[in-house]
Amino acid sequence: MTKRHSSFGKDGGLQARMLLTMFLLGLVYVVFVGVLFAVGAAAGVIIVIALFMLAMQFFASDKIALSTLGAKEVTPEEQPELHGIVERLCVQADLPKPRVCVMQTSMPNAFAMGRSQKKATVCATTGILQMLDTAELEGVMAHELTHVINRDVMVMTMASFFATLAALIAQFALFFGGGFGGGYGRSSEEEEDVMIVLLVSVLVYAISFLLLQALSRYREFAADRGSAVLTGRPSALASALIKISGTMERIPSQDMRTAEGMSAFFIIPARTKKSLMNIFSDHPPLEKRLDALSRLETQLQSAA
Amino acid sequence: MGLKDILTGRHEVKGPAPDRLFAISTAYISLQAEHQISPAGKAAIVFQALQTSEFEGVIKEMEEVVVATGGESGTQVHTEDDSFGYRWMVLSGSSIEDLAVGVNAVSGSIETAGHGERLLCAVFAFKDAHGHAVYFIYNYKRGYWYPFVPAAGGGTNERSTERELQLKAQMADELPLEPELERWFPLWGIPI
Repeated sequence: MTKRHSSFGKDGGLQARMLLTMFLLGLVYVVFVGVLFAVGAAAGVIIVIALFMLAMQFFASDKIALSTLGAKEVTPEEQPELHGIVERLCVQADLPKPRVCVMQTSMPNAFAMGRSQKKATVCATTGILQMLDTAELEGVMAHELTHVINRDVMVMTMASFFATLAALIAQFALFFGGGFGGGYGRSSEEEEDVMIVLLVSVLVYAISFLLLQALSRYREFAADRGSAVLTGRPSALASALIKISGTMERIPSQDMRTAEGMSAFFIIPARTKKSLMNIFSDHPPLEKRLDALSRLETQLQSAA
Repeated sequence: MGLKDILTGRHEVKGPAPDRLFAISTAYISLQAEHQISPAGKAAIVFQALQTSEFEGVIKEMEEVVVATGGESGTQVHTEDDSFGYRWMVLSGSSIEDLAVGVNAVSGSIETAGHGERLLCAVFAFKDAHGHAVYFIYNYKRGYWYPFVPAAGGGTNERSTERELQLKAQMADELPLEPELERWFPLWGIPI
């Protein structure tokens, strides 16, 4: 192996930040569970309920999400290009082929689901299929397949378990506990306990929400990197992201003279705001993703 | 993939598996003698062409090497890009052994240049007694072969699974075949 390979796609800082985020998340959760047990709230019962919810989410969420979104599985005959891209990427990544779905909407988007590599589903919208050319679509699908390879659904589900639990408890406590001014033969000590649990839960939820967002952004960067390494074409993914984000004016495709004449008629330049980046705030800003991809392209080009 | 890789989201693209490419250069004898499937005189190696000047240089060099080594049987080389952006280096020559040597030389020099993970597969073209195309595809990541037979009717993107399964039974002792049928990925529009 040449030197180029040890450097292409390396991003040690990202790995470190990801691990730090997970460590902090774990720390918050440990404190949370500690407080629950210290107060002696019916912690056991709540955790069992939450575990049940987690299991539900883990095993059924992909099916529920796919059916509510109206995504339909497509055969290779219906979508030969999409299937062809996914198949070749699966050969490259040595991955079993996931189910391939298409969602009927003009909004350009794509996502991956499923708890394991064998049960994975990748989905693209008709909008993204029309908008992107083959190389760009390949970059996007490689990004989604990297989510599958990295088991991001599992990691994020596990990571958000206690955040979900905290949210549950906060809702319970608000409903049955504080705010009603005692009553129902409850001692003031119990009152206090409920307040503590409520406060801690809200705090845990707030902190873990921020940490989870950060973790999710790091996983996105990792998937971008995985896509670049898998396809060997970081700029194709970058081009796809620019197209999807609807900010094509970064690299204008319109002749300067016609653009000059038309722009006088628009107060705000027409562009689609809905995009892969904007719907989910847990995606990193486009600028940073493009920067990371352009660093990968530089590494690739400065090979030899 | 270990726990640490899952947690950090690190994933490396796999390089080629131990080489079982040359199994074809003996297997074709029984294909021809027992099953009336004869070589069509063409083979191809499929890979992702990196768009860097260094990689283009490697490919140029390879073409020259193949033409030089295939001197006796006169192996010809040409390359084309398919609609998925993969590059096909097509070798034509009468001898399967020479084609296998040529394909191996190409994959070898891609690996030596440090791009082994860019290799997708090698395809060897055959024809059955009725003149229908039969392909044997070698998956570099897995190190396994599998048959691919497009349906004879010429219908778009239909494969003759029955024929492929017959070939699986016939060739199981001769070729290291991919055991997982869901990895028998089709390749439509093979240019050989």
